[in-house]
Amino acid sequence: MDYLLNLVASGLVFGSLYGLVAIGFAVIYKTTGVVNFAQGEVMMFVLYFAWMVGSFVDAPLWMLLVIAIVFGSLFGAVLERLFIRPMLGKSQFPIIMTTVGLAIMLRGLVPIFWGVDSAPIEAPIKSQLWQFGPVFLLGDQVFALVVFLLVSAATWGFFRFSRVGIAMRAAAHDETAALLMGINVRRLQGLSWMIASAVSGVAGVCYALIIARAPDMWHIGFQAFPAAILGGLDAPLGAAFGAAVVGIVASLSEGYIGYGLKEISGFIIIIAILMVRPYGLFGEKELERV
Amino acid sequence: MRTGHAVESYDRLIALSTNPVTWAWTAVLLAGLVMLPLMLSGPMLAMMTSVLIAAVGAIGLNVLTGTTGLISLGQSGFLAVGAYACGLLIRDLSVPAVLAIPLAGLITGLASLLIGIPTLRLKGLYLAITTLAASFIIIHIIKHAAALTGGPFGLRIPQVTVLGLPIGNGPGMYYIALTAVVLVVLFVNNLMRSRSGRAWVAIREHDIAARSMGIDIARYKLLAFFVSSTIVGIAGALMALQLRFITADVFGLFLSIEALAMLLVGGVGSVAGAVLGAVFIVFLPEMARALLALFTSAGETGSALVFEIRIVVTGALIILMLRLEPDGLMGLWRKTKRYWLQWPLPV
Repeated sequence: MDYLLNLVASGLVFGSLYGLVAIGFAVIYKTTGVVNFAQGEVMMFVLYFAWMVGSFVDAPLWMLLVIAIVFGSLFGAVLERLFIRPMLGKSQFPIIMTTVGLAIMLRGLVPIFWGVDSAPIEAPIKSQLWQFGPVFLLGDQVFALVVFLLVSAATWGFFRFSRVGIAMRAAAHDETAALLMGINVRRLQGLSWMIASAVSGVAGVCYALIIARAPDMWHIGFQAFPAAILGGLDAPLGAAFGAAVVGIVASLSEGYIGYGLKEISGFIIIIAILMVRPYGLFGEKELERV
Repeated sequence: MRTGHAVESYDRLIALSTNPVTWAWTAVLLAGLVMLPLMLSGPMLAMMTSVLIAAVGAIGLNVLTGTTGLISLGQSGFLAVGAYACGLLIRDLSVPAVLAIPLAGLITGLASLLIGIPTLRLKGLYLAITTLAASFIIIHIIKHAAALTGGPFGLRIPQVTVLGLPIGNGPGMYYIALTAVVLVVLFVNNLMRSRSGRAWVAIREHDIAARSMGIDIARYKLLAFFVSSTIVGIAGALMALQLRFITADVFGLFLSIEALAMLLVGGVGSVAGAVLGAVFIVFLPEMARALLALFTSAGETGSALVFEIRIVVTGALIILMLRLEPDGLMGLWRKTKRYWLQWPLPV
């Protein structure tokens, strides 16, 4: 029983990392209809930049988060303006391939700029040990969980209550009608990239805190895919919930079935989900008209 | 150069090419390719062999992605199936290599149906993600089925011959690959002007319209999956024969992206474009290195980060091609030709 609970807890910790990236996927998909295959790479790039700036001023953890959020939103805006906006209105294939091209460019640029070595990020919070009943968690794991919950709540509140969030939902629902109501849809699309990149920056900080900063961090982008698909690509909160499920399933399958299943269980979930409910658990079903 | 194009009979409309000039140039190209091993040194010949193998793989992917419009990010998984099938057939079952290559293609084609059938309803984005997931699963199985595939220790293929031609990195392998390319080009070009080829294009252009014209979408999509993966499996088998030692790490995600880059650079949807793209992408690292050497003395910065530079250049190339010339090199060629024919009239 204790083993099970500990597996669930560690699954939730990883799920929260996946979830932060998956929220990024969902925010972009919801407003622009683009799946950003470069989400994991954007996370890596933003984290490396924040870490570089942070190590100049010897920044504490909270400041690292602030730098990641600020640089992340700037970086997102630049990426959207340079790469995605000129491609809007084209068919699915060129847009997917643009983000794929962006992904491998960032993947190569990080080791060129910052080297191939990996190193953990040090913070006093890492040495704390928290106990919840039979479950033991390290301070950085609790930190990731709390950040994940906060970001999920903020995302929900943003889409539910803020003017901009409601405008984004309107634009996602019917772009033309939103335009006619005076919503600047283009600006919203840029904003969604800013939000997604900032959230990925936060994800990067949590990831580097728990594991390490390394030039293969982008892998988590693929781990977050199943989460986003499971929850529904156009539902940010659904993606967060999907991430928790995928994290727990990954952790349990590795704990009980066999080593190495952690990386692969998500992809098995993807294939199963796409066969049964391609629009995810919480996504809206797309109707296709001739 | 001919200036008009009119055909008077159905036979001529569906002929491979009605133009004697095209046939003549193809013959010249083929003769040049056959003579090539006499002129090139070892490493260059090995590179040309890689180009030919990549061309087979790109033509295979083109059937699925270019012609039928089903985006696949799982190319590397199918290449791995073909390579391992060929290697195991030769090593464990002592099948003659000349049979092992088509058999490996067939096995890959059948394996692709496992993924093709459940994903029939999907298209565009979701299919891309599913094929990506499938390739990760395939690589995972290969890595962990150590009893069969050698797992992390890889698979070594004994020195065998294909109809007397030795495999490995030599003129023999070059001729094997060249034969494969010629056969595959002929096969696909013929297929494209058959009922199936036209059905695939119709599905790509508008699947609902195709359905209402009486095209059985499920059947032709599966056929595209099967044909494409069979050709890709043959490319994988050739890779195994050229490398003679394969591990699962050879078939990384980057291989899938590179294959799509070949289509984008050459021109999506045409066999000639796929071949052009394969040539371009395989030589790209060499070109990048030469370019770097111009700016830095003897290219010392590039030596440690060769792979990183390669993926950055490939990524930039994908984005630039999509932005500036979405129809690829073939599109550029068509534009040039039209400009030339119409001059001085505007195109």
